[in-house]
Amino acid sequence: MELSSEDNNLTEKVLPPIEQESDVELETKVKKYLRGEGADLETLKDKKLKTQLASREKLYGKSAKTAAKIEKWLLPAEAGYLETDGLEKTWRVKQTDIANEVDLLSSRNQYDIVLPDFGPYKLDFTASGRHMIAGGRKGHLALVDMMSMNLIKEIQVKETVRDVAFLHNEQFFAAAQKKYAYIYGRDGTELHCLKERGAVARLRFLKNHFLLASVNKSGQLHYQDVTYGGMVASIRTGKGRTDVMEVNPYNGVVALGHTGGTVTMWKPTSQAPLVQMQCHPGPVSSVAFHPNGHLMATSGKERKLKIWDLRKFEEIQTIHGFHAKTLSFSQKGLLAAGTGSFVQILGDSSGGSSSHNYSRYMNHSMVKGYQIEKLMFRPYEDVIGIGHSMGWSSILIPGSGEPNFDSWVANPFETSKQRREKEVHLLLDKLPPETIMLDPSKIGAMKPSRRKEKPSRGEIEAEKEVAIEAAKSTELKKKTKGRNKPSKRTKKKKEMVENAKRTFPEQGHNNTASKKRRIGEDAAAELPASLKRFARKN
Amino acid sequence: MVGEKRRSTSKNLAKNKKRKGPHLPNSILKTIANEKRPLNSDEEDDEIDSDDANVDLYEYEEGVPEEESRKNNRYDPVVNYDYELPEDFEDENVESDDDDEGGNSDNEEGEGDVVRHTRMLQAVTGMPSAAFDGESKRKPVLFTEAYPESEFNPTRDVLEGKGLLTIDDFMAPIEGKPGFNDLQKRISRMQKDTQAVVHAPLPKPERERLERKAVKGLVDKEFNKWVHMVKRNREAPTVYFNQNVSLGYSTVGAIASEFQPRTDFEKKMASVLNDNELGEAHDEDGAKLLELNEVSVEDHIKYRDHIAKMRSLLFRHELKSKRIKKIKSKTYHRLKGKDLKKSAMGALMDPEMAKEEAMKQEARRVEERMTLKHKNTGKWAKRMISRGLNVKYDGTRAAISEQLQINATLSRKMNSTNDGSSSDESDDEEELNDGSDQDTPSKLIAKAREKTLKTVEDDEVPNSGLLSLPFMARAMKKKNEEAIEEAKRALEEYEEWENSGGEENSKKTADVSGRRVFGATAKVEAPKESRKDSDNFYDNSDSDNDMEGIENNDLRAVRDTASPVRNTGAITETEKFDDDIENPASKTTFDVALFASGSWKKMKGCQNAETKKKTKKHVPYSKSQDKKESRDEESEDSESEAEQMVDGILTSASKETYEIPSQAELIQRAFAGDDVVDEFEKEKQEVLNQEVPEPEKPVLVPGWGQWTNIQKKRGLPSWMVREHEDAKKKRTLDLKTRKDARLRHVIISEKVDKKAEKLHTTTLPFPYTSKEVFEHSMRMPIGPEFNPATIVGSLNRPEVVKKAGVIIKPLKFEEANPNEKVDDEHPRSNQKQNPKKGGKTGKGQRKGKSKQKTKA
Repeated sequence: MELSSEDNNLTEKVLPPIEQESDVELETKVKKYLRGEGADLETLKDKKLKTQLASREKLYGKSAKTAAKIEKWLLPAEAGYLETDGLEKTWRVKQTDIANEVDLLSSRNQYDIVLPDFGPYKLDFTASGRHMIAGGRKGHLALVDMMSMNLIKEIQVKETVRDVAFLHNEQFFAAAQKKYAYIYGRDGTELHCLKERGAVARLRFLKNHFLLASVNKSGQLHYQDVTYGGMVASIRTGKGRTDVMEVNPYNGVVALGHTGGTVTMWKPTSQAPLVQMQCHPGPVSSVAFHPNGHLMATSGKERKLKIWDLRKFEEIQTIHGFHAKTLSFSQKGLLAAGTGSFVQILGDSSGGSSSHNYSRYMNHSMVKGYQIEKLMFRPYEDVIGIGHSMGWSSILIPGSGEPNFDSWVANPFETSKQRREKEVHLLLDKLPPETIMLDPSKIGAMKPSRRKEKPSRGEIEAEKEVAIEAAKSTELKKKTKGRNKPSKRTKKKKEMVENAKRTFPEQGHNNTASKKRRIGEDAAAELPASLKRFARKN
Repeated sequence: MVGEKRRSTSKNLAKNKKRKGPHLPNSILKTIANEKRPLNSDEEDDEIDSDDANVDLYEYEEGVPEEESRKNNRYDPVVNYDYELPEDFEDENVESDDDDEGGNSDNEEGEGDVVRHTRMLQAVTGMPSAAFDGESKRKPVLFTEAYPESEFNPTRDVLEGKGLLTIDDFMAPIEGKPGFNDLQKRISRMQKDTQAVVHAPLPKPERERLERKAVKGLVDKEFNKWVHMVKRNREAPTVYFNQNVSLGYSTVGAIASEFQPRTDFEKKMASVLNDNELGEAHDEDGAKLLELNEVSVEDHIKYRDHIAKMRSLLFRHELKSKRIKKIKSKTYHRLKGKDLKKSAMGALMDPEMAKEEAMKQEARRVEERMTLKHKNTGKWAKRMISRGLNVKYDGTRAAISEQLQINATLSRKMNSTNDGSSSDESDDEEELNDGSDQDTPSKLIAKAREKTLKTVEDDEVPNSGLLSLPFMARAMKKKNEEAIEEAKRALEEYEEWENSGGEENSKKTADVSGRRVFGATAKVEAPKESRKDSDNFYDNSDSDNDMEGIENNDLRAVRDTASPVRNTGAITETEKFDDDIENPASKTTFDVALFASGSWKKMKGCQNAETKKKTKKHVPYSKSQDKKESRDEESEDSESEAEQMVDGILTSASKETYEIPSQAELIQRAFAGDDVVDEFEKEKQEVLNQEVPEPEKPVLVPGWGQWTNIQKKRGLPSWMVREHEDAKKKRTLDLKTRKDARLRHVIISEKVDKKAEKLHTTTLPFPYTSKEVFEHSMRMPIGPEFNPATIVGSLNRPEVVKKAGVIIKPLKFEEANPNEKVDDEHPRSNQKQNPKKGGKTGKGQRKGKSKQKTKA
């Protein structure tokens, strides 16, 4: 590591300024791929381990550098952006303006689909962004291929539909209906009726864990493993009815927003919430998580939008005067908030540094009277889907989506064979529910120590010293007659010191004694039965 | 030589006259001796020391006491104070000693003595007297010694080093003798030659130490040569043993080509195989030989067809038997068995089988004759006959006569094969008769009444759950009252029936048993009913003669009721209702009345004319149904919360999960947003108290330490108070160290997740000693999904790369550059397997990993 940094320094001196700049850029990318600093090897005493770790670190560095280079040079597409000159503001740019500028393929992504009959629509995209499921409040379920704009299947369940969610791919989707939640296949056949959950208000799928999480009308949180159908956890939140639920994509923790203004975070292996945060004084209307899992946005009915740092559980920003019915983070970290018929996109203007500063990026007003129900950025596209009371719409938000998809993660151009292969891989890589925790990077690390149970040796020594000192410095009472002799007094003092010492067991001795005993036991154990009685006992 | 020694001793004696007293303790002597010993005395042993201690200068006759001799160091040295004498005393003693010696040293003795002595010496030693002359001249002093002087027993002064012998001492006696000059010259030359002096060797341990030092230096040098190599190998992330090894032959042919016949047998074989003549002969005749073996095409085809046929037959048979084996039906097997038996009987009516069958039949006959099982000897038959019921009832009579018939067939001398099964049937019937007859009509009515009463009494209001809600309770009460009323009506009816008795009774029995009759018993006239009864009773027996008429009757009755049933259910009901009104005595009145009140009965329409028993069963059942219904209505009325109950299908799960919100909850919902911060703080306090519980307040066990007022005034013992304080302190500390200690708006649960514990290590894995280093080393994923393909291989390479079959040879020395860095990109092979190909190391082989996937 040191070597490489030195190299860079050397090159910096020589290289012209442009390349230096690119070098700095590469450096930041390398840092991203290094996932933190290596340990300080100088403290290690074991030379072998030291060299081994050093060579490992070197490999990591190489890997990160290669990855950074690949990202810089080989990735095909670049992120979109909205550039304004002079006094122009990005939020003044209308969708019509954008439509004039973009290519034909992108302009196809601006549309309104008017379906006035079946009420506000909920949306969900698959991880690749290829498919969308739209669920109308009044029972209309539509599975759409977004690439070709084909309607794959459309069904009318003739029941209230409260929420829709895709499972691991477009082959299955779940819908929260009037009484129960159902799982449908791609062709609209009802596969399962999830009766145990009751009347589900919100559904979310944890794709790494294959858990279908839902919260029902009485505020119960259910986790069901969709691979074998078992109910993994059923948790009473005890906070009353809620329909604000979101999954942290980083760690799989489910967040619920409650009427009391609290946001609680849950995992399936614990009946108590992992974290409870008092976010708003009034009811929480919406919650969203940044894809890196460190940021959370909440909006309250008191017309405030707050952004929280989940590593410190601190509020980093409050945006006043805006009440969002629905919030959504894009892959690149744009935050969309929707109320009434108005969509606002907030962008992080701090430029990727650790301090976040979200400010207005774009606006979009829909036709008056359209009530926005759900906003969701389409993955790998600069598009946001808006489900509203009159159908659904799609508008362009430059710079929202990740420009380069990774076919190992999600592939919008997946063939059916690849999909099947992927499914098997997903199943093999399925994580058990207990891996859901606030900091999943702690998996494999040392067990977090509880309260110190055994004091260290040094501490015991120190305590002993103190006790002896205390014993020595105690004033003896004046006794009458022969008992107050100096000899008696010294004897008494000595006794006290001894007593003080005795409370601290000698450690070295104990250890050796136990070791000896162990050796003796071992010897006895090894002996044949007939000779065992001759084994030395100590 | 001897003389000289003596002289020296005498000299010694003269010098140390004081030493004549009792000797010093041995230990002291020894130390003195050691100090004065010449350098070359290092080969002396302890024994010699002790010996020389023994050999005192005194004419000491007795052996030294053992404790003083310290033989084998068995005794501690004893300091013999008792024998310590004053110094002045010594002199006299010595003199007296000398005197005792016989005046050898005395001057007073004359020359004669000397002569005599020489003579004696001469006699003893056999040496010429001249040798003793000088000695005698110098007034020699003779000492007798306990042991002869020798190299093992040197004199004291030799040992002490006082009177060191010099060369001159040795030379003196032979002065003037022939060859003396020569000797002296040589000695003087030797003395001048300092180089030839041989110094005493070093003590053994020292010598060995030096040796070891020298060796260590050498070995270190040798070993240090290897250090770099070893270090390099230890630090290398991967050690390679993947040298290409040529295994020599690659094919069997190659091996066989080099085969040389060695044994006799092999040689013989080789000679035969390589024989030219034989080969020629084979080339010429071989083809002809084969011709002889030829098989005609027709034969072959025939054979093949035959085989194919057999195979297909076998296959079909297999299939068939498989299918048959799969059939599980009992009746099929029974019939099959019977068939088999029959066919066996019919086809193989060979005398043996027939005989066997006859034997069986005979046995059955004997049994029948012995037991008289079918001769109406049973309890029931006896009772029937004794009461004359067999005359009264056709059914009974028929049954009894059938029994008799069975008996006749069985006890007939021979014939009729199917008797066994028929007897079984009759047995069944008998049982049936028994069972049905025990339920007399009166009993049935009593039972019905009992059950009705029970159901009326049994109605309990559940005091929990949905049914405990007030409006539910009210509705249920209503229903209950209705039900009770109906039950009362039913009871009245029962009583009526009981009172009426007689013919009514018989009618009821018909109802009881007539399960096969569908509806409308009331339409059938009274006289016919008795016959119909019998029909119902013995429906399955073929023996009855008057069956046909009744059956017709029955059919008609069925048709009568069936036709309306075929219409819509509603019509059926109304019709029945009418019927029941016409005939209030019939139990269906009750039945239908009940149905009329409900709205769910459509599917039950065809079962309306069921028996009383059935109806009785219906009472509680329908009641429960009604309850549910009412609940449905109620729930429909109530708020939409309970919408899941509409159809009255309540799954157990939904029952558990759904609760109508309590009043408090509703209020809370309505006024949410009030004072949430305070509430949150309260909640946090609760959580904290739960996770870090407050220490219990110290309490004394009542009675303890409360004997007197003084003790009471003192209060709790100090240790208790101290403990409490400590616990409190600990709690505050714990609270401070919590993650959410400084975040007022956040509660972070610190409960340990036991299920997740297995995802952490409890101990540091071996080479690591610090947690930080370990955790940092774990931070990077090493899988192919997270790393570029070019690095994945080196990230995941095992510690040792070894080709199968490669022998790992011991390390060979090679020059290693101590400053060389471990480079994983260019791995070094760890051994040179093939000296010819030594230049080629494993560079080429290493990059076998091919997956070119990039993870951005």
